[in-house]
Amino acid sequence: MLRLERICRQYNAPARTLAVLDTVTLSVERGEFCAIVGPSGSGKSTLLNIIGLLDRPCSGRLEIGGEAIRSWTPHATASLRNRLIGFVFQSFQLLPRLTAWQNVALPLQYRGVARPARREVAEAMLARVGLAAWSDHLPSQLSGGQCQRVAIARALVGQPQLLLADEPTGSLDSATSREVMALLRSLNAELGITVLMVTHDQELAASCPRQIRLRDGRIVEGSEARAA
Amino acid sequence: MTMDTPAAPWLDSHVPDTLAEAWTNLRAQGRRSALALLGILIGTASIIAMLNSGHMAQRESLKLFAKLGIDMLQIQAVPAGDAPVALSRTAIAALPVVDPEVLEVIALATGRATARAGAASADLAIFAPAPALARMVGLVAARGRMLGAAEDCALSVVLGADAARALSGPAAAVGPGSVLLLGGYGFTVVGVLAPVRPETLDPVNYNMAAMIPPGCARRVIPGGGPNALLVRLQPGADSKAAGARISARLTPREGTLTVLDAQSILATMQAQKAVHSRMLIAIGAVSLLVGGVGVMNVMLMSVMERQREIGLRAATGASPGALRLLFLTEAVLLSMAGGIAGSLLGAGISYAIASGSGWDFDLAPWTLALGPVVAGGMGLVFGLYPAISAARLNPIDALRAD
Repeated sequence: MLRLERICRQYNAPARTLAVLDTVTLSVERGEFCAIVGPSGSGKSTLLNIIGLLDRPCSGRLEIGGEAIRSWTPHATASLRNRLIGFVFQSFQLLPRLTAWQNVALPLQYRGVARPARREVAEAMLARVGLAAWSDHLPSQLSGGQCQRVAIARALVGQPQLLLADEPTGSLDSATSREVMALLRSLNAELGITVLMVTHDQELAASCPRQIRLRDGRIVEGSEARAA
Repeated sequence: MTMDTPAAPWLDSHVPDTLAEAWTNLRAQGRRSALALLGILIGTASIIAMLNSGHMAQRESLKLFAKLGIDMLQIQAVPAGDAPVALSRTAIAALPVVDPEVLEVIALATGRATARAGAASADLAIFAPAPALARMVGLVAARGRMLGAAEDCALSVVLGADAARALSGPAAAVGPGSVLLLGGYGFTVVGVLAPVRPETLDPVNYNMAAMIPPGCARRVIPGGGPNALLVRLQPGADSKAAGARISARLTPREGTLTVLDAQSILATMQAQKAVHSRMLIAIGAVSLLVGGVGVMNVMLMSVMERQREIGLRAATGASPGALRLLFLTEAVLLSMAGGIAGSLLGAGISYAIASGSGWDFDLAPWTLALGPVVAGGMGLVFGLYPAISAARLNPIDALRAD
């Protein structure tokens, strides 16, 4: 489902080259729920950005949903992101001027889906995350947990192969965090969507079936799928 | 895996969506959008006011030739010394025959005299026209009648509207039947003319004149022969050349001729106007430029402030083209709103100019359409750079911006 082969990413600082990811090889099977853990600066975010086609590796091979990524032009990656990947961010990243359903429908808009059809699909997705009654509310009228659920609906509305979550509970209190995690786990179980989640929370990570541990740009644990 | 994405998705469903989104974003910016419009508004308003006042001035200058048309010459004989000068009647009668561009010639004898009626007196222009003049100029009697063909040498006079008023005392109004003293002769007023709108080619001001029969004009007009002509030319004739030809044929030994042709007068008026127009266009263009820079500024600020939005849109699949289109649409909409307001303001200024100059107000519809179109073009040009910089943002940095 997801394969990374010898992925490298380095930044050119003055006088020296900083390797942020050093020959990372990783494979994830369809329907897995993985936590990416590691200390600050270990390369978690860079790894997530490369898998999310927001950053380009210096070398190596990347394959998502059986599709090898060959073209890294902004236009090509935008189209692939739209089709293959859903993002959930720590800070929700909802557009404040759009209502809940309009936020959810954004990926469909960039796919060229007509407005009435977009609304229908977006509202069905909102109902799935338990916000059917909040479809016409603005993000400012929603609680943090509700905002993150809108963001999850947006990430899944285009039926992507992969859900990438960067500290999805980082801005939420512990009760709301548990609700959001429960939602992610149930979507993972029911829709079979593959989830990769970066987190600092050891407890949260431990509750995930698989942990991918990074240190100094290398995977030190969990690079291969566990035998089920 | 098949591509379920159209090749250029932003081309089909995106255009109306982008318009709607751009409009929402602009409204959210509120006051700042409005301020950016000020330059565009002033620029388009001044250009539209200028074009419209040019349009109205043109109509007004054409009105100066409404009765006689622009294929018309006015010729007046100017005496060289004290002796009166007259044009040859035979040469005048021969003009339509020898000059194929001359359609009709109307000769007048003109002079000035003091008219007295009771205690009142007025200095009047006296004219003794060929009968066809009244038809050509549209002189009609408001009271009484016009001169008849049978009174070629009668002591009858038709007064202009202002002349009749000037001669009327508080006790006795001058009208048909009144007798007035003109150059020592007692003339009977047979009619009073309806007021006439003065035009450039009129040989006399008909409103402040006395019209007498041509037969015995020499009683009150020195010489008494024709000393002014109105020449109607074939439509489209070169009136300057025709004027020179006629002048060569008719110039009397004892004087000179002045020739006025409508086309030359119009050309002079337009040349003067062109100088003003160029100046106003320059002012309008500078305002538009300043306005365009204002729009660019607002759009750049908007791109800076909406980095996270741009990053999020990119993450959910907005291509650089779709992002460019969104910000370009906002710039064009913003400018066009200024252009529409500028059109309305320009129309208002044109109205003020018209009432200030005593012109009839008239809008050239194409000038109103010009406002939004020119302003939209400015938005396109000045919105391009902000739109391109929005599309070039790195999504990772953009998502992290605060």
